[in-house]
Amino acid sequence: MIPVESESSTKNGIKIVYVAKENLLAFLTEKKEQGFDTLLMITGVDYRDHLEVLYHLLSSKTNERLIVKTKTNEEVESVTSLWKGANWHEREAWDLLGIKFLNHPNLTRILLPEGWVGHPLRKDYPMDKKQYVNLADDGKDRVSFEKSEGY
Amino acid sequence: MEDKIVEVNFGPQHPSTHGVLRIKVKLDGEIIVDAQPVIGYLHRNAEKLSEMGGYPKGMIYMDRLDYVAALNMELGYVMSVEQLMDVQVPERALWIRMMMVELNRIASHLIWLGTHGLDMGMLTPFFYCFSEREKILRIFDEITGSRLLYNYFAVGGVYSDITPKSVEMIKEWYGNFYKRLEEIQSIFAKSYIYVQRTKNVGKLSAEDVLSYGITGPMQRASGMKRDVRKDNPYLFYDKINFDVPTRGEGDVYARFLVRIEEMRQSASIVNQVVGKIPQGDFYNKKYSKPMLVRLKATGESYVPTESPKGEFGVHLIGDGSSIPYRVRIRSPSFANLSSIPTMLKGYKIADLTASVSSIDPVFGEVDR
Repeated sequence: MIPVESESSTKNGIKIVYVAKENLLAFLTEKKEQGFDTLLMITGVDYRDHLEVLYHLLSSKTNERLIVKTKTNEEVESVTSLWKGANWHEREAWDLLGIKFLNHPNLTRILLPEGWVGHPLRKDYPMDKKQYVNLADDGKDRVSFEKSEGY
Repeated sequence: MEDKIVEVNFGPQHPSTHGVLRIKVKLDGEIIVDAQPVIGYLHRNAEKLSEMGGYPKGMIYMDRLDYVAALNMELGYVMSVEQLMDVQVPERALWIRMMMVELNRIASHLIWLGTHGLDMGMLTPFFYCFSEREKILRIFDEITGSRLLYNYFAVGGVYSDITPKSVEMIKEWYGNFYKRLEEIQSIFAKSYIYVQRTKNVGKLSAEDVLSYGITGPMQRASGMKRDVRKDNPYLFYDKINFDVPTRGEGDVYARFLVRIEEMRQSASIVNQVVGKIPQGDFYNKKYSKPMLVRLKATGESYVPTESPKGEFGVHLIGDGSSIPYRVRIRSPSFANLSSIPTMLKGYKIADLTASVSSIDPVFGEVDR
């Protein structure tokens, strides 16, 4: 049994557990063996002084739901070895929140173009600064703060 | 001729990508060796935008996620907000919501069926499906005042009551729907070409479905009987009789059959609900609109709902102010689309459009 740091629940009764960052992969492996076979999503929250990573788990046999949270500064272990679907969710979390997933096969931006400056869902992201994508013929688009021929 | 892997770009501007999807396909002759989807062409960051205004203001961004099933998207958000703030909703409003989302599910499946037919080279069913969908949109126009993006569900109820005329319209539509659907189904199922092109194509096993987190009709076509409406009943789905159709094959044809059967079930739900809507208020009179914008909330909530594409839910985190601290959208199409590499590998390039359109991706929701 991997120890749980603290427990709470959402307003409609879904259990939330906090797990230490080092134990995360072992904890999720254990939960998967216990029947939480579906990974619904991976996401994160920026709390200014630290980041939190959330894993929504669902058991397809007992309909139980579980939200696993872990506190981190920037890095966390990837769970692509457990669920194939984690690949895109982790890429999205990296793209929008800047959470680095260690041992991820292809940790590149997924929604924003490569070369984008900053991570939009961070609370300190400058919303008034525009970035323009300049399409290139060789497929490697450039992102810059000047409009030139971009969008 | 020497053996050579050719890389082909499919999309982003292509009629059968249902939006702006790009797939980098590696071909060995006709056989797909590798397929990597590229998304993000319709990205607006609805999550960040929703974190910039009050709770009720997030609704308009939810409309624009899955724009062919806007009411299903609104439902996920509005239920999450109500759970977070402990807002009570009158029964009449809940029944109206249920009727509306089921109608919208049929409209969404019809638009899928029509465009799926186009992808398979059939023009006729497109017109049949769109004329049926038009009848549903006219009902929506009568009740909500808009045809595509409704902004109809409000925190604490719905914006306007259903009219006697709209009930008449629904009854008239229901009377013909089964016959029309039978007709549309037979156009597909009696076409030798369609059946040959979809059977044993784009197969996904139950293990793959679990591993990718696929939900909705795609999951049910792979032999798993999962439906949030049955498993975690919300609204009044536990008081209504309906079946969850499943197929075991996991190919494109199975998905087609599952969606057709789902439309029949949804029509039956609509018919049952129309007879059960009680009298009373259609919104909670305790909360006026200006007051809702100022409502504060703490804590978290996540309410799973069954959208036409799969499990949809919004994870809300409040920090005690009237603006949500974090809005996280679980979009089913995003997870479903990530299975493309497994789904296409080993099949021929001609099967690509059939497989991709069977996912029913809507890019407002994938890219958010």
